[in-house]
Amino acid sequence: MKRFNRIFTVAVFIFLYAPILLLVAASFSSGTSLSNFEGFTLSRYSELFSDKNMLGLLLNSLIVALISSVVASVFGTVSCFGIRRLGRRAQKTVMTVTNIPMTNPEIVTGISLALLFVFIGQMLKLKDVMGFWTLLIAHITFNLPYVILSVMPKLNQLDRHVGEAALDLGCTPIKAFFKVTLPEILPGIISGGLMAFTMSLDDFVISYFVYGPAFTTLPVEIYTYTKKPLPPKLYALFTVLFLAILLVMIVMNIVQARDDNRSRRNKNAKGEITLTRI
Amino acid sequence: MEKELIRLADIAMQFDGEEVLRSINLTVRDKEFVTLLGPSGCGKTTTLRIIGGFETPTSGEVYFDGECITNLPPYKRKVNTIFQRYALFPHLNVFENVAFGLRIQKLPEEEIRSRVLEMLALVNLKGYERRSTDALSGGQQQRVAIARALVCRPRLLLLDEPLGALDLRLRKDMQAELKRIQQQLGITFVYVTHDQEEALAMSDTVVVMDKGRIQQIGTPEDIYNEPQNAFVADFIGESNIIDGIMHEDRLVEFCGRKFACLDGGFEKRENVDVVIRPEDIDIIPYQNGHIKGTVTSVTFKGVHYEFIIDVDGFKWMVQSTDYRELGSEVAFIIEPDAIHIMKKSEYSGMFGDYSTYSEAYDRDIREFDGEEPQEEKQYEAEE
Ligand SMILES: Nc1ncnc2c1ncn2[C@@H]1O[C@H](COP(=O)(O)OP(=O)(O)O)[C@@H](O)[C@H]1O
Ligand SMILES: [Mg+2]
Repeated sequence: MKRFNRIFTVAVFIFLYAPILLLVAASFSSGTSLSNFEGFTLSRYSELFSDKNMLGLLLNSLIVALISSVVASVFGTVSCFGIRRLGRRAQKTVMTVTNIPMTNPEIVTGISLALLFVFIGQMLKLKDVMGFWTLLIAHITFNLPYVILSVMPKLNQLDRHVGEAALDLGCTPIKAFFKVTLPEILPGIISGGLMAFTMSLDDFVISYFVYGPAFTTLPVEIYTYTKKPLPPKLYALFTVLFLAILLVMIVMNIVQARDDNRSRRNKNAKGEITLTRI
Repeated sequence: MEKELIRLADIAMQFDGEEVLRSINLTVRDKEFVTLLGPSGCGKTTTLRIIGGFETPTSGEVYFDGECITNLPPYKRKVNTIFQRYALFPHLNVFENVAFGLRIQKLPEEEIRSRVLEMLALVNLKGYERRSTDALSGGQQQRVAIARALVCRPRLLLLDEPLGALDLRLRKDMQAELKRIQQQLGITFVYVTHDQEEALAMSDTVVVMDKGRIQQIGTPEDIYNEPQNAFVADFIGESNIIDGIMHEDRLVEFCGRKFACLDGGFEKRENVDVVIRPEDIDIIPYQNGHIKGTVTSVTFKGVHYEFIIDVDGFKWMVQSTDYRELGSEVAFIIEPDAIHIMKKSEYSGMFGDYSTYSEAYDRDIREFDGEEPQEEKQYEAEE
């Protein structure tokens, strides 16, 4: 049984990671198609990094992901404080409503946002509403729930009196927020923000409905490629992207692990109260 | 007598139209140790939060050193607070927790260092500077909270059930230690507890509260010996409370007999509540007594026995070092100085009869009293 489990686990891992390994391998192969590995080369990478167009698209994607995740982190955190002030039932309702966009099919979100933008564009008599701003707004919109979802539990854990203790010791409310409350919920904000960043970076479906010819992101552009044979420099691009996301995930895990550790120790210490004498 | 430091003038407080405090008038003198004592939910924490500036009263004023501070925010008050569950800063170590207030004041690094170390020594936490606060025991966290508040050299320290989460022995040690610190530094303490023993042991002045109102203010001796109404008599220690009629000064009738007493100043034939403490009753041979009854319960308490004695249906609690058998017929006498007379109040008839008394019940109530966190959670969500 134990051996079976082990084999099964290995199988799952192969299943999950084989395609990616193949992709990485392909990015270093000098053959023209995936079926013939000829020799090791870095020429795919040099091709990639000399392709101004491709790098421009990558930059676009990074800009949108960065701005939208930062804005979503700020808005999301602020709205968490608002949600906390609601009554218990209202709080639950709001949380459910907040989570719906995450499970909502992306295509529905994409189309409804597109409709909204077109509608507003017509009201304001704008030509070509779709572009950078619509893309950015759409990304902020679908990023928000990820931030709220990861900040809210941190905020609920926070002792209400900790903020008051800071006021008591002479902090103005603003200072108390930055000195005490923010450091406490920061792990939540960071992991929510990173999650939002990765979501935004590879989003295709929603972006497809709200982008304009003036501003395209990488996933949208690549989708139009798939109809033709893929240029091999894309393998190099995907490998770079994969490694970048991997890095983000590792950072996120470290942040969470450190935070979990602390909460656990905290809990232990609280449990001891009645047992320990000084 | 030291001069007045803080004065609450006719404070009332309502939450969502619900009255939580009513006509609170209280003066705290400099260097005094004042305790707010009362059952859970009576408004002690709210009173403390009004003094600290965390709540603004619906009406009434707060004076500090003669100045009206009702609308002054907490960070501008020369008052520091020790919160019910410590509220230490989890992301800072022990040293930085204590240094927090001084860093906000932007004091020079050297002064911060020396004051923090001095304070940690005062609360017996030398050598713990670099520890993380979650790695400390409850008692140690408590000490950090005390050091963190005291390092700012407040004129007034507010303490909300600071020992509530500690076990009994640790609690006794900390009571002594807090009292020592208070006297050593000469700081005024306003202390909240629902534990009457703690209040009597530590305070210069005890303020007994119930249902959002002050029931009595006095020294621990006053509160114990001269309770103002049945609530105070029952809440502080054990009491037998009997209906009586005051015939004239120093003569009271109860249990169908007239007794000499030391109190006066009542109307002729005024109905009163008579308080007799269980330890002030002397059990004597049956034939010589004023009041006769049957022992219905005996509990050994170490120093003394505790008897419940049924006298014509009214159950008395009597404490005595002499053993009597369960079911035996006994009598007791009550000396004039054991009798305390109180005016009738809304609490008359609610306390002081041990008919429903049982040990287990008593304990349940105590435990329930201590259970605050849940309650607090509830209104937290409604804010
Ligand atoms: N922020 C609040 N909102 C609504 N009700 C409150 C609030 N704070 C306290 N109360 C109510 O006021 C009463 C007194 O509470 P509190 O001062 O905490 O009592 P104590 O500290 O004596 O146990 C309780 O009934 C409590 O439910
Ligand atoms: Mg309280």
